[in-house]
Parts: sequence; C-alpha cells; structure tokens
Amino acid sequence: MKPRKLYSLALSRALSRALTSSTTPSQCAFPLKTVTVANFEPSLEELRHHVRSSDFVAIDLEMTGVTSSPWRESFEFDRSDVRYLKIRDSASRFAVVQFGVCPFRWDSSNQSFVAYPYNFYVFPRQELAGFGPCNEFLCQTTSINFLAKYQFDFNAFIHEGISYLSREQEKEAIRSLNSMHDSECSNISKLNDVRDLPSINMADILFTERMKNKFSEWRDGLLQEQSQPNQIQGTRKDSKQRFDVIFFKKHPALKLDGFTSRQLKLVQLVIKKHFKDLSYIKVNNAGSSSQQIVVYTDSEEELNLLLKEVNEENHRAKKMKIQAAVGFRHVIDLLSSEQKLIVGHNCFLDIAHVYNKFIGHLPGTPEEFVASVNKCFPHIVDTKLLMNTDNMLQVRMKKSRNSLGSAFSMFCPQIAAGSKSTELVSPSHVKIDVEVDDSRLSSWNPGGKHEAGYDAFMTGCIFAQLCCDLGVDFKLHESLKLATNEKLQKYINHLYLSWMHGDIIDLSTGDKVANSSPSYSPKRRYPNILFENIVIIWGFPSNVKSSDVRECISKVFGLTSVVSVYQLDATAVFVQFSKTEQVSDFLSLKENLERSNGPISVLHPLAKLLDGGNTCAANYDTYKEICGSPLSQDLFADQANAVTMTPKSKLIEFKVALRSEEHENPSLQDNVNDVAVNFVEKIKPNSIDQLRNVQSTGQASPFEIEDSRVAEANL
Amino acid sequence: MASLFQLLFLNQKRSLSTKLSTTKWKVKQVTTSNFSESLKEIKTHISSSDFIAISMEKTGSSSATPWHRVQPFDTAETAYLKATQSAQRFQLLQFAVCPFSVTDSNKIVAHPYNFLLFPRDELKLGMPAYSFLCQPSHLASIARQGFDFNTCIYEGISYLSRAQESIAKIRLGTGSPSLGVMKSSSPPTVVDTVFIKRIRSRIKHWRNTCKNSGTKTSKHEEIIDSLRNIVLGSEQFKSRPCLNIDVCSERQVQLILQMIADFSDDFVSLVIPSKGGTTQAVRVVLANSREDKELLEKELQSLEDEESKKIRGFREVIDLISASEKPVISHNCLNDCTLIHSKFIAPLPSEVDDFVSSLCKFFPKVVDVNYLMKKSGTMKKSTNIRNALSYLNTHFFAPVDMEIPDQDTVNKGKTDGLDALRLSYLFMKLCSVLKISPIVTPLDNRQLVPELEDFAFHPCSANVQESSCNEDVTVWTNNTKKINCEHLVFLWGFKFGMTAGMLKSALRDSNDIFSEEFDVRFIDKSCAVVVFWQPGLSKDLVNVMNAEEISGGLKELISDGLRVTGYETYRTMCRLGLWEMNLAESLERALESSLSDEKISSERKPSEIQWCNDNVLNFDDL
Repeated sequence: MKPRKLYSLALSRALSRALTSSTTPSQCAFPLKTVTVANFEPSLEELRHHVRSSDFVAIDLEMTGVTSSPWRESFEFDRSDVRYLKIRDSASRFAVVQFGVCPFRWDSSNQSFVAYPYNFYVFPRQELAGFGPCNEFLCQTTSINFLAKYQFDFNAFIHEGISYLSREQEKEAIRSLNSMHDSECSNISKLNDVRDLPSINMADILFTERMKNKFSEWRDGLLQEQSQPNQIQGTRKDSKQRFDVIFFKKHPALKLDGFTSRQLKLVQLVIKKHFKDLSYIKVNNAGSSSQQIVVYTDSEEELNLLLKEVNEENHRAKKMKIQAAVGFRHVIDLLSSEQKLIVGHNCFLDIAHVYNKFIGHLPGTPEEFVASVNKCFPHIVDTKLLMNTDNMLQVRMKKSRNSLGSAFSMFCPQIAAGSKSTELVSPSHVKIDVEVDDSRLSSWNPGGKHEAGYDAFMTGCIFAQLCCDLGVDFKLHESLKLATNEKLQKYINHLYLSWMHGDIIDLSTGDKVANSSPSYSPKRRYPNILFENIVIIWGFPSNVKSSDVRECISKVFGLTSVVSVYQLDATAVFVQFSKTEQVSDFLSLKENLERSNGPISVLHPLAKLLDGGNTCAANYDTYKEICGSPLSQDLFADQANAVTMTPKSKLIEFKVALRSEEHENPSLQDNVNDVAVNFVEKIKPNSIDQLRNVQSTGQASPFEIEDSRVAEANL
Repeated sequence: MASLFQLLFLNQKRSLSTKLSTTKWKVKQVTTSNFSESLKEIKTHISSSDFIAISMEKTGSSSATPWHRVQPFDTAETAYLKATQSAQRFQLLQFAVCPFSVTDSNKIVAHPYNFLLFPRDELKLGMPAYSFLCQPSHLASIARQGFDFNTCIYEGISYLSRAQESIAKIRLGTGSPSLGVMKSSSPPTVVDTVFIKRIRSRIKHWRNTCKNSGTKTSKHEEIIDSLRNIVLGSEQFKSRPCLNIDVCSERQVQLILQMIADFSDDFVSLVIPSKGGTTQAVRVVLANSREDKELLEKELQSLEDEESKKIRGFREVIDLISASEKPVISHNCLNDCTLIHSKFIAPLPSEVDDFVSSLCKFFPKVVDVNYLMKKSGTMKKSTNIRNALSYLNTHFFAPVDMEIPDQDTVNKGKTDGLDALRLSYLFMKLCSVLKISPIVTPLDNRQLVPELEDFAFHPCSANVQESSCNEDVTVWTNNTKKINCEHLVFLWGFKFGMTAGMLKSALRDSNDIFSEEFDVRFIDKSCAVVVFWQPGLSKDLVNVMNAEEISGGLKELISDGLRVTGYETYRTMCRLGLWEMNLAESLERALESSLSDEKISSERKPSEIQWCNDNVLNFDDL
C-alpha cells in the first residue's frame, strides 16, 4: 500500500512539475532531464543508449556536506595520507543528493558535440528490510544552506530520490537471502509454523468460529460438488473482508483480503488445528505486496510439492526485489561497464563518494583506493587539473578563480551566454548542442540553476574546449579515442588528492606525481614541512594562544627550536620543531613534568601550557590515527581524547577473533587497516611529501609566518 | 447483546466524529517571514494560558535501532545517556507549542503554533550546529505525513542556546560593558589624569568645531573645517557628528565614559568592540538637544534588541515559556527535555542529576503524559500521541470540547505540528478519565494540582517510565517485577536465528548455574539479556565464563562464540557513547575499552557510588 501511495505522490508531483514547466516558455531555462523514482526506469534505458554512443561522460555530485567538523577541513599540515583519510571520512558520512550525468557525443554531420544532461535525485531510502544504503547521514549546515540558496528541491530529494545499493550491500543481501532460502528448503514444513497468540479475547473466539465455519463450508462444497467451485461464499457486503475463489497452481484456493494481521494469525491457527487438507500460504509477488491464500490439496506429497514451488517463487520474488533496490547504481554500473572516459571537475571527492556509495567501503590507504577505482573506471580525467597543469591553458586562466562556473564562462563564453548569436562563436570554440527528450537545442537562457546535471554539462563543455585547445582534432572522428589520445595522455587518470597542496595521484599506478608545471604556485606559507618533526598539542587552557605556545617551548628548547606553530582549531596546535629528536624530547619532558608535582614543575616554562592538567601531546602518527577514526567530535581535543582512550593493539586481536567468525565490521576493519598503514609508513617514506619539501625552499622566516598567522587569528 | 452493539456503535460513531474534528484542526505555521508578529501573539497567549503543550519533530529518532530506545531494563542513568545521544546528534525541524486554558471541566481553549526551525548560521560563527545527522528512514516517514522540507530549510527560524549566545556575544563583542555601567574602581593615577586631560581637550575642541560649523562663512573655512574633521577623526553617526577615540585598555574605556558623563549631557557614548571581544574605540556622538539625545538612546536600544533577537531567534519562545513558569505538557519528557536542554539551554551535562537540576531552573514543572497514562494504568504500552488518543476514544467515554479561537486566521490547509494540539486534547481527556481536575485557581497559580504533581518531572521520577533513583529495573514491559540491574547478564555471539526459547533451553543444558530460575529476553537480533531471579548467579556466570577450564555444554556454546558480560559493561558502553547498530558490537567494543577504562569508573562521583551501594544494600535487606 505504501509504495503505491508514494508512487502516486511522485506521479502527482511529476505532473505538477510538468505542468508548471509547460506554462513557462521552453527557452527559459537550461534544458535538463530531471530523473526521480517516477521516471527512473525509462530514463535509465535512454541513458544507456546515450552513454554507449558517447565519446565521454561528464559527472558531478551534490552532497549534504564536505567536512564533518572544523578540524577535518584541509590544512597545510596534512600529509597526503591524512588528506585521504579526511576525504574518506567525508565520503562515508555525507549523502549524495543529486547526481549529474552528461554524456557527450561528437556529431560529425553538424561538426558539434551533443550533450545529454541528466539530473538524478538520489536518496538513501531503505527499500529492503535490513539492507539499506545507510542508516544515517550527516548534513553540514552551511552546505544545506548553500543548496537552499540555489533553490534545491529538498522535497524531491526525500520524496522521490532514487535509492541504491552498493555492490557490497547487494552481495550481502543476496548472501543472506540464499542462506535463508537454504534453511527454509531443508525444513519446508516450517513454512506453516504458527505460534499461539498470547491472549485470546471474546472477539477472537467469535472470529475463529466464523472462519472455521466458512472454511469447512467451502471445503465441503469442493468435495461434494466439484462443478461449482466458483460460487462466492456469502461475503458480507459491508465488510472489507473478502474471500475470492481462485485456482492457485491448479489447486482450488481462497484468496484472503482485507484482514488484519491478527485475524490472519487466527486464520492460520484455525487451519492448522482443524483442517488437514487445507493449508495457509503466504505468496510474495514481484510487486511489493504479499498475498495470503488458503489452498486445498489432496495429499501430503502434493502439499509439499506446492510448498516447494511457492518457496522457490518467493525466493525469486525476493531476488527481484534486491535487483530493484540496486536502483541508481545501475547508472554507475553502466558507466563502469562501458569503460567510457569519465570527466569531472576537481573530482577526487566525487570519485570517493561514488566508490563509497556504489562499490563498497573505502579502503584505508590512498594506494588501495586508487587501485580499486582504476578497476571500475579505467579512464578518468579532471578538468581542474587539465586547466592548471598546462602552461598555455594557465595563461588563459590568468590566475583567475578557477571555480567551475568561472572556468565555464572563461572557456566557453558562447555556451555560458546560451545565445545562438554568431558573433560569439569563433572557430576556436567548440560547438555544443543539448538534447533532451529527443529535442535538440542550441540556445537557452544563460545561468542555469546550480544543479548537478548543469554542473556536469559545464564540466563536459570545458573538457571539450580544453581538448580542442590542446590540439585534439574531433573531425578525425573515426580515430577519436579520447581515453587513449596521446595529447591527453599525461592528464588522464591524474587527480588532485589535494588541490591546496597540488598533490596529484596517478590512478593507474597509485604513484604520486609532483606538479610539473613551473608556473604552479600554491599559496603556501609554510615551507619545509617535515612531518616527523611535528608535535600536536591539544587540551591546553583556552587562554593560551599559539604565540604563547611558541614562547613556552622556545624557552625550553631554544629560540630556533620552533619552526612554526599552526592553529588547528581553538583546542589544538601543530608545532614543528627544527630537529626530529626534539619531538621525543618534548614528549618525555611533558610526561616528566606531569608526573612530578614539585615546585620545579610549577615554575617550569612549560607550566603555562600544561596548566589545568588536560594538555595532551602526540606525534604526527597519532594525528593520522585521530583523523582516520570513525568517531566524530566537533572540537579536536574531544576527538583526540576519545580516540586515544581505546587501546589500538586490542583491536587487532579482536579483529582476528571476529574474522574467524566471518563477521564483517567495516569501522573496525578500517581501524586495523590504519594500524597496518602505520607500519608501512615507517618503512617507506612518503615520496610526494619529500618532493614537496625539495621544491620549496624557505622564502619567509618562521617568525614572519607565525606573526601573520597570529594576525589573521586576531582579525 | 443488543445494548452492547449499541454501545459499540456509539463508540464508533464518537470516534468517527472526533476524527472528523481533528482533521479540521489547523495550526498556525510560523517561519522567518511571520516570526516577529507571531512572537508578540504567542506572548499574550502564553501568559493567559494554564498549560503549554509541546511536541517536536527531529531529523531522526532513536527508535529505528531497537536497543537505542529506552528499554525497561535501563536505569535512570543509561536512559538519560540514550536520550542524550539522540538529542545531540539529531536536529530539530519543527517545534509545536500549544498554550491552552481549561475553561470548564471538559472544555479547553487552545492556541496552537508550529514553528519551523532550521539551524541556519545567521552570524557566521558555525552555530547553532556545524553539522547534524539525518536518518533516511525517519525523513521518509515524516515526508509521507506531508512534511514540507523546502519551507523548513528555506524559511526555518534559526536559534542559539543560552550557552551559544554568550559565546556569540563574546565573539561579536557585544558582551562588553556598555555606557555608564562600570564605576572607576581604583583611584586615578597620574597617567590617568594626563590621559583624561588630553581626551577632554580633544573632545572640547571637537565640540566647539561642531557647534561652530553652522556659522562658517568662507570657502577657506570650510576646507579648514573638513581638514580638521579628518585630523580629529570626526565622522557622522546616524546623521549626527561623532568622534572615535581609540583606546588601548578597558581602564581607558572606563575613564573616558566617566569623563564624558561628567562633561556635558549632549553626548552619547558608544563602545566599539574589536573582534576579540576587547574594546577598540569609544565613539562619542554629539546630540543636538536633550530630546535628540533621548531619541538617539532609544534608537540604539531598539537596535540592540533587534540584534539580540536575531541571535536568540526561536529561543525567544522557549524563554517565554520558561519565564511564564506555566506547567509544560510533554508526551515523552525525557526525550523532549534533553532536546530542549541541548538545543536551547546548554550542552547536556554528563550526569543525569546535573541535568535534572539544570533543567528545573528553567522548567520547574513538566508533566509527562506518557508516564501519566502508564502510571495511572490507563494504558500499558507507550505509543505515539495519535494512537494514545484513538485508544482513549475507543475505551473511555470522556468528551472534551476543543475551542481554537484563531482558526480562521491561520494558514489554510496546514496541519503540521498538530501533535501539540492533540497532546493538549489528550491531556484533558486523560484528566477527565482519571477524574483529575486540572483547573488552576488563581490563588495557587504557581502550583500544580497535587494529583499531577506526582507526574511532574523531578529527580525521582526523572526517567521515563518505571525507573527510579535506584538501580532496580524491569525487563519486560508488561511485567513490572523489579530486579536489581546487577542480576542481569548480557549475552551475545550465539547462532544466528535462535529464538529466546531455543537459547533458554541451550543455556539450561549448559551449566549448573542455569538450574535455578532464569529468563531470557532478546534485545535485538544480536544480543539477549538473561535475568537471574536469584542474586549472585550473574557474577558466578561471568566468573565461569572467564575461568580457565570450562566444561560441558557451556564450552560448546563458548566455542561457538558466546560472550557474556554484566550490567557494568552496558553502563560503560552507554557512557563511552558506543552506539553501534548491533548491541553485541557495542558491548564487544565496551569490553575492549573497559580494561583501560578504570579511569572512567573511578571518575564517577563518590556520592553516586555511595548512592548505588545504599540501594544495593537496601535491596538485599528486603
């Protein structure tokens, strides 16, 4: 009943939307196919066709948020693996609300690209009992507000968003279904198992008696006059309860309708107690509703045969249900199986979301992640990287903001303006038409809504233009294989792990690539970040500023000991020492001071920092561990305390124990992975971070940095 | 028989008619667009009403996961921790308030309001909430009831809790002392005198220029005037001349304020804060006349009010309810009160006692209708308001007239937030069933009727349902036999698909401990609770499980993965906030950390430990 209601609601909404859109002039807005539950099936088929014939597919995602707490934002003190852990945290906590897919096809007859923008509303609704896409998701208030600013339709998202199951979840659901099926097959008689109702009242007894009469009447009728099975048994007109005489798999049967669950239980009891040749069967249809049927069978064998058949059918119906619950993932499977070139804009986080929502849990290291992504999507290209690594293109960007919107109006002014006017169309500009529902358009009003489908379209346009600028000749379409085009080769499968640092990761090899562009100049204020020289301090008194921290530590370790102090949030700072051994010196000194309560510790220069007794300090590996934790606290100090409270070594033993039981616990597994990564890290130094440090030599003295930071904090 | 049928028929008819009337009820919807006028309206309604019914809608609820709900075997402490978890993680979407007065023994006059809320960061300070959790299943279910998320997010009213307000004021700098509040505490030093002298001459100079500027004659003078203005730092403030004097300490601020107050009465001084909360400068505004000065001061006051209204937002309503000291009617007190406390007062304290005492400061009287229904034996099971209403309708004859005076003025067709109205109706019906007369006489206005006093939220009925100050809990909802929670043992790691009966018989065969009377109840699929009706056996079981040698059927169960732990682990788990999907998982994690966790148990306040011991002893004495 419920799904039908939902469907009708969705239908009415779709209708009303269609009506409102038809009243407004068609040229008004950017043409875009909006897909919800109501029109998912046909749109998927259509999209399948478009993707197959496309040259590349641009994607874009809208999420409910980016960072779960202020300290999980991107910092300059984040090593690439820490950066990945932050992205993993973001992708596993937030939900995708909209998924834009836009296949682009080169139309050689028109010498232009045709784009098919699709805008999918996605909502992690639980379609299967026990196997939902997720139990809860996080919303970042600012992100929700941002979506609201662009009139995002939250009702469409929640009412009509398409649900999904990841590959992992589907496997899990099928496994549990099969094991249930097996156990049911082994004792088929259990299907008819009824437990007594706890309390039976007068109404129940009356009802039971009535049912007993009804069934015996019907059965006797069957036995005596085989010719009149169609006679409808005196159903009261005013009652909702109905018995429809049907044939169920060539057996005479009664279909029960309009009974409450308690009444059905009573019916079950009556049948079990009083009728040997009747049996109560629950049939799951391919649709969502299940049917209750009372069947007459001649013999036990016949009954068993029937039950087996029903069981098989129910099993099949459930499998169909799982298939249906896969929902939006069919789109991802399509993109993956067609192996088309996927185009995104600054899309590492997007890819992480795609992986987490539709493939499985995110692995613990960037290398593992990249390897599994490469298996699903062999060709990915990032327009932001393309714009920023190529010298020529960068000159065109003129160091302007490279947000998607500004890049779009920069590279594709004629499309951004949406006009057909020929003055803007210069030969160097790629022509792009939009086709929605078989009607092709090349002009529309500028300034599309900030929607995933439009963003995907913009990304695709930028990519097409960039290809053109790089000298890719679309006219030689027979040989147009963008994914293997040598002019694009050095960009394909390279993604920014962190835009801020310019860290690039190669998806096909898992290697980190240094930014080769000489003109690339990330705004870096902290040269020479040596992660092994870093101590993280949290939980100090709230009146201690980062300048105080520097002062305290400088008094003990010398004026030049502290290279930089970086405020993580109100409760924590990074301190980079000039020498690695000072890290352990500082940690042991702190421990000693805390142990002794004498006057020395009170007068010690560090006393100010340790005042209050809650100050904690740890090295960089602990910071990584804290970032990788599934816990989430708003303040770093709270998070750090929560994480460091549980001993890690225990978890490994526990995990081993769990594995033997074949239990799967993602969060735990992740933790163990983190520990494992810690070990790897010690053996293999992080190449990219070294590269970074070699690249930049200190231009500013540490003190200047410190001051500018403080000044900024005071603003 | 016939009469019985007639009665049934009547009943049906009556329930039908009430159903009809409820669908006609409308609730005034309040968003940012009509908040200020509604605030004025509700203020008068609150002050003239007898009771205030409240109900809330969140982005999720703990009921999706069975063991996250408050269970009968929860103590006040664990129940509070469970409520805390849900209150902190989820966000409020709407807050329905219904002030109502009882005019007759069975008539109420109600003024229902529904406030749509969204934690918009109005001040760009990351408040009231940086992020919040949503439960898709819960969102889908309220969507099915027709909730409009777009209106809620686009136009929902924001708010700050009291604690957040004071943080915001410090960060915005509006919390610093304003004019004339502080008196110079210490006698002036030489430096002070010099400083005052200098400032005084500067102000005098500036004042003269201002007064003379009307009589300027030549162009030269005008230029000189404007130059002088630049030199002196003279500006315009609300079309009046003003002068900014930079200061470098709070002491200087005091001195300047005092000096200006003594100097002349046509000055208004304003303190300009810096971002860090300290004072950056003092602005002196020159008023034209005494009347003009008063006008200016009034203007400033209303500006300040406006600003703080923007800061408090919806919390104004909460403050109104709190200030009115009217009894608040809630359906599930613990959940509602933890939510109110965490969103509108301050972060929830870690101890239930602290919470209760803190809450009582703001809401001295809260009546829990759910508890009232249970305690009075009207209804055993706890359900939602609608089910409770239909239950009362079909089982009791207690007509209640509902009058909603402003029906015509409310937005058409909106029935969101009907629950507060339903609750007031339910409350009245219940009172009439229980023959409690809730009518408040003007004399004892501040008192609850004694019959209701029992159901008010105070430390000893603090929690929820059956539980209490002590450690005695029940295990079944329909069986109120009480037992000390030390007699409970949590059990998990058994084969998937076991029923309570199967588990019980397996346990009975496994060890002698189970030869005595015991019961098994499943909490969720993964975990069961075992109740020993004899003291001491629970400890024995845990000891046996940890022993080196285990024999018999128990060994088999353990090799299958059976794990056992006592109530203490459950408590630790709640304290640590290990809210996994499966109870078994959470308990497992709690066991892991409990070893390193002596810190937590020792952190528990000594008084509380005594309190526990007392109760345990009492129980044994009995």
